[in-house]
Amino acid sequence: MHSTHRRRLILFIIVGAVLFYFSSRVGILRLYQGSTVSMYVIAIGSIILLTGYSGQISLGNGAFMAIGAYVAVLSQLYLNLPFFLTFFVAVLGAALAGLVLGIAAARLTGPYLAGATLALAVALPSIANLFPALGGEQGLGYDSGNAPALFGEVARFKWLFWISSLAALITCLILQNILKSRYGRVWKSIRSNSVAAELTGVNAPRSKVLAFILSAGIAGLAGAVLTMSLGTVSPSAFPLSLSFALITGAVIAGISSLLPGSLVGAVVLVGMSQLVGTLTTRFEIGDVLAQNLKELIVSALLILAVVFTPNGPGEKIREMRDHRRHHSHGGHR
Amino acid sequence: MEKLISASLIGLSQGAIFALMALALVLVFRSTRVVNFAQAGQAMVSTYIGWEVVTRTDNYWIALPAAALAGALLAAIIETFLMRPLAKRASHGAIAPVASIIASLGVLGVLHSGAAMIWTTEQKLFQSPVSVNGIEIGSTVYPFSQADMLIISTVIIVMLIFAFFFQRTSLGLSLRAAAFQPEISRLAGVRVDRVRTIGWALSGAAGAIVGVLVTPGSYLSPFSLDILLVYGFVAAVIGGLESPQGAALGGLILGMSLSFTSIYVSSGLTFIVPFVVLLLILIVKPKGIFGGGNSRNA
Repeated sequence: MHSTHRRRLILFIIVGAVLFYFSSRVGILRLYQGSTVSMYVIAIGSIILLTGYSGQISLGNGAFMAIGAYVAVLSQLYLNLPFFLTFFVAVLGAALAGLVLGIAAARLTGPYLAGATLALAVALPSIANLFPALGGEQGLGYDSGNAPALFGEVARFKWLFWISSLAALITCLILQNILKSRYGRVWKSIRSNSVAAELTGVNAPRSKVLAFILSAGIAGLAGAVLTMSLGTVSPSAFPLSLSFALITGAVIAGISSLLPGSLVGAVVLVGMSQLVGTLTTRFEIGDVLAQNLKELIVSALLILAVVFTPNGPGEKIREMRDHRRHHSHGGHR
Repeated sequence: MEKLISASLIGLSQGAIFALMALALVLVFRSTRVVNFAQAGQAMVSTYIGWEVVTRTDNYWIALPAAALAGALLAAIIETFLMRPLAKRASHGAIAPVASIIASLGVLGVLHSGAAMIWTTEQKLFQSPVSVNGIEIGSTVYPFSQADMLIISTVIIVMLIFAFFFQRTSLGLSLRAAAFQPEISRLAGVRVDRVRTIGWALSGAAGAIVGVLVTPGSYLSPFSLDILLVYGFVAAVIGGLESPQGAALGGLILGMSLSFTSIYVSSGLTFIVPFVVLLLILIVKPKGIFGGGNSRNA
């Protein structure tokens, strides 16, 4: 194994151990929020791979989440798969859908791809209403099982947190390795200049489809994790606003920063609900205002982020440092 | 036969709405290379302004231009204070190709939540100036009303005005020049920034007209026009995103496919048809029907 890979692996194991330790020392609300953060980390990771690296935009990753979620539920319902395996099947199912769309999408650029994925995000949840086997509006139940006996009696929310944070850690580890590998560099080169990249022997369409498939598969995993923590799957869990929220989460801390970017984005998305709740009770804000305050703040934050730190705060700080260094050099001369 | 007539008429009326929404998106895209997802929000806010006017004056024909004006103003503000500075700031790095799309999603969110705070999410009734009941010919009632005729005729008039403006006036010529070759237009004395703002304003007005046309007969809420954005965008992409004729054709294709599938197959397909139609057309022509000529590069 490569030494940086090993170092990364050790780091993730340490983080996992720390999370495991804290899971016994926090309340149900924090555990639930932790599961949601983990779900968002995975989903935002899928956007960072696709948009931040391969330069394609998808407004439809919520749809791939829906595919993953339904595949997980159906494979449990009809194939009686143990629930760890349903996660794998969810990834495969969503990736397969990504392959189908990706082949069509490889020829599409920017706004055309945005259009196709937007239409997908609108189309897909309504399919559940067409086939009775998919449970319609009510949706289908999902049994997330119990912790193995060796952990003793484990509370439900703690168990859910374990699974989702483990899924997030594994996803981040694999993604980080992919993004820092040859593939990550190839995607970046296509993003900045696809003609130049092709001249160096890169197969741009194939690499783009690959990014699309990976992104869809990861989104599928996020969908399965979401379904697990809800205990059910239904079309209403995957509105268009979910796809938009993922983009917001990916942009806030820099679209090409997997770590800590996806974590920061996820915490902002989850934390905002709590912040607005606290503000509402503290200042006795009226219902109408309170219900819409979260969306207003998140949207305003998105606009401010894209205007003032377009490539994330990290990039901004680097730029300012370079700028200052440049100036002081000029002064000496 | 009855079914065929009904399907064609509904398709025509829906298609007209989609076409105008698509035109609004095309106007912005060709002048500034921005896919404006806030269009639905802008149209919604303008329609609320129209609703305020109509509840106070009881006159639809004042509300329509008032909403169009409000839409134009709102669009001009967004272009001047957000999109123009953004184009300069987010011109490099990973974000550059998607910055404007993302900013417009942010604007959409702000407009949604802002409108919900001002007007609440309660549905508002917007009275139609004409009958919304189906027209009766002989003993059969067709699902096509005077309101649909108003929609079709207004859209045709608006499209003709736009066509005249772009082809026959000097300002229209500047707009086309600025969209085609900004640098060279600037050298030729076109004030590109100002012309772009005008392009946005026209688009905002078109979106507002869509809102005020389509809302009577149903209800108005902060989210009621969102689905039109999806349909309008699909229509625009089918047409190639750059050409007003493409927008009209795309709207018609989408309107017809929706009405024919919902009458002949099932109304449960409403959300799936746009995706299928779009994908089929993009597989054959990845840049839409009228797009992708070598005359311009994106």
